[in-house]
Amino acid sequence: MRGTWPAVAFFAAAALGPIVVRDAFFLDGLILILLWGASAAAWNVAGGYAGQVSLGHAAFFGLGAYSAALLGTRWGVSPWIGLVVGAVLATAFGFVLGFLSNRLRGPYFVLATIAFSQVLLIVASRWRGFTSGSEGIPVPFRAGFWTLGIADKRVWVYLVLVLAVLLYLVQLYLERSRRGYQLAAVREDEDAALSLGVPARRLKVAAIAASAALTAACGTLWAQYVGFVDPYYVFSVDLSIRFCLAAILGGIGTPLGPFLGAALITMLETSLRARFGGIGAGLVGIYLIIYGVVLIVMVRFAPHGLVPWIGDRLRWRPRLGPTA
Amino acid sequence: MHAIPQLLASTILLGGIYALIAVGLTLIFGVMRIVNFAHGEFLMLGMYLAFWAFTLLGLDPYVTLVLGLPVIFGGGWLSYRLVMRPVIHASHNVQVFTTVGLSIALQALALVLWSADSQFVRTSYYAVVVRFGGVAVNLAQLAAFAVAVLFTAALFVFMRWSYTGKVMRATAQDRHAAALMGIDTGRVFALTWAVGITCVGVAGVVLAPIYPVYPSIGLQFVLIAYVAVVLGGLGDMVGALIASLVVAFVEVVGSYVIGTAWKEVLYLLLFIAILVIRPAGLFGQRGAEVIGT
Amino acid sequence: MSLLSVAGITKRFGGVTANRDISFDVAPGELVGIIGPNGSGKSTLFEIISGFYRPDAGEVRLDGGPLTGLSPDRVCRLGVARTFQKLRPFAGLTVVDNVMVGALTRTHDVRHARARARDLLDRVGLAEKADVHARTLSTGQRKRLELARALATEPRVLLLDEVTGGVDQRSIPGLVQLVRDLHRGGLTLLVIEHNMRVITAVAQRIVALYLGEKIADGTPDVVTRDRRVVDAYLGQAYTQ
Repeated sequence: MRGTWPAVAFFAAAALGPIVVRDAFFLDGLILILLWGASAAAWNVAGGYAGQVSLGHAAFFGLGAYSAALLGTRWGVSPWIGLVVGAVLATAFGFVLGFLSNRLRGPYFVLATIAFSQVLLIVASRWRGFTSGSEGIPVPFRAGFWTLGIADKRVWVYLVLVLAVLLYLVQLYLERSRRGYQLAAVREDEDAALSLGVPARRLKVAAIAASAALTAACGTLWAQYVGFVDPYYVFSVDLSIRFCLAAILGGIGTPLGPFLGAALITMLETSLRARFGGIGAGLVGIYLIIYGVVLIVMVRFAPHGLVPWIGDRLRWRPRLGPTA
Repeated sequence: MHAIPQLLASTILLGGIYALIAVGLTLIFGVMRIVNFAHGEFLMLGMYLAFWAFTLLGLDPYVTLVLGLPVIFGGGWLSYRLVMRPVIHASHNVQVFTTVGLSIALQALALVLWSADSQFVRTSYYAVVVRFGGVAVNLAQLAAFAVAVLFTAALFVFMRWSYTGKVMRATAQDRHAAALMGIDTGRVFALTWAVGITCVGVAGVVLAPIYPVYPSIGLQFVLIAYVAVVLGGLGDMVGALIASLVVAFVEVVGSYVIGTAWKEVLYLLLFIAILVIRPAGLFGQRGAEVIGT
Repeated sequence: MSLLSVAGITKRFGGVTANRDISFDVAPGELVGIIGPNGSGKSTLFEIISGFYRPDAGEVRLDGGPLTGLSPDRVCRLGVARTFQKLRPFAGLTVVDNVMVGALTRTHDVRHARARARDLLDRVGLAEKADVHARTLSTGQRKRLELARALATEPRVLLLDEVTGGVDQRSIPGLVQLVRDLHRGGLTLLVIEHNMRVITAVAQRIVALYLGEKIADGTPDVVTRDRRVVDAYLGQAYTQ
């Protein structure tokens, strides 16, 4: 989507939301859309813009969630510091993954990312002494901004909005800057890019590390908002897939795409939940089936993303740019 | 000291089962250059097939195996036609997302149809233990091992000596050259996929008496299979066989030494170590993993 | 006083020796052609010079400084650019974006890079195609794009891998003139070429390879009459 006006409209609408609507249910949905959108956007930095598809980003998300939760419950440290710690840890892991991305291509790299998140899942769910094992960690609510103990959902909306806009801008930078062009070249044809002087290897590592740090930040905020860190959720492959599904749905490698995809997914889940009442295994299954089928159909027919696909049908303009 | 024969026996039994799962996965990669992320889900479906045949029809899993073989093979063929054929020439990423999507959809389907509850196939003999030479093994495990070995051996014989097997190996080496020589690569791919799925489906059926059956059980087995397949070199069937034993060994000895809770970390770390040090695996061609095809 | 020097380059792949003890120099402003049958090691040599392969023995030097074993992007930044025999445009980007990638190696300013890219496209005759997707270009146009892209990195030495390969007859003179103009502008060129008419017309010197070894090195006149070259590559009919 050329031009930033759709994004301005999107974020403006989000900003107006809490002013216009008071319903907690609606606000909750808005917060989740922005959070999942931000997480998907963070994934998009590595997966869409650098072309390094990862199915293990939950590793970074979980690191962010756990860092803040552990530091908060064990040593009473502010979750803001926890956010930084989580981001630093995630960056370190990101560098390792980046190193691997230069040694492995295609499916091998994807497998490595899955293995990564699985290792963290097992460690977190078994290390009873440190992480309370499989029970997870309830995040204590201590009122105040410094402890991120915020009861008012409207404040949360604006908090997450800042994160979301930040991630949008990061992606916009990747689209239009010198590094962005170089990354696009690496994504298209790494060897050709190298021959033109693009430091492909370093760029990939940097993109993955940045993506990791940003994802961790999302994880921290999510944990603080939801109030509970469950290792089986926060490190799961399902969660990793959720990030890339949102990006692919909304338009992989476009700045607004992840947010649109996240909006679609969240609205689908919310409406299904409302229709079928309550959360049951069967319900989870239904929208997962939909995701699976959508993924299969989409990568075949609309690899640029569903939203661009619709846009192209309306405008009849062939699409450029990154695809799944 | 006398734990060693027991550990050895466990390794071999477990390794045999893993081999059947891994061999199908490596075959699919070798010929089609696709990593099947949904492989575990077909295992799970095989387990459910055995469960429902047992619960509704009273059929012993080994009877289900024989009767259900065409069903499993047919399921494999169908999934190829519906899902994989359209993306056989697409980019790596598209193929990854396609099999990931399939994995999600199948798992979710099981969840919706049969709930997340663990199911059990309690055959009359499931608790029988066979003893020989100071070693005790579960009869069901032994039987599963026997079937696994039989199938794997049959697959090897097929690949080595049958005409179709040679055609498949030729396609694996160079699909363009194979096509130029008149080989219908589309058919080869369909057959390869169906055979690979059959292997893992069969493994599922014989594992049903041993493990609890639930929708997400595929993941743990398929991760092990990936480790074995990568260790043995993607596409290398003998490698997958040997590597399966190695992985089983790590798991059995690991559980013995540090307990079952952490054994998964062991083979996952092994996996990451392989990817860092020698991604081509023990027997794979060095550089294959970087070039990708 | 050579700009690019190749000394004792040897490269083995398993049992095959693709390059065996190859040595020659390229003086500043020279246009040197490389000829030889398929499998003689021409592309391998290019891969080594541009940093994609590391030689088993020997050295590559640029203006006296070592080039051997440096990564391809480093080699480019030091001043050696190349095109590929099997054309590799960034298919998902526009033509001008393609060239900008090259330009951005020398400048950090995106607008400046875009202006420079448009200039280069003008120079190679692709100006009106600037904003279309690279994948819509014909082979001849892709060759020009590849050239413009490499030129955008402001190389001191340009390695051209097959200028006329796969191009229709009518487009060849245009391409050849382009290469000539670049040479006249002072660029040092190393050109792999199968079309003997083209290479003998533009090259000041020709290096002939056969089975990984250098069998001749001299002016086009001398090399095309060299007995070994004739036997290995040209055939009797050529010199008649």
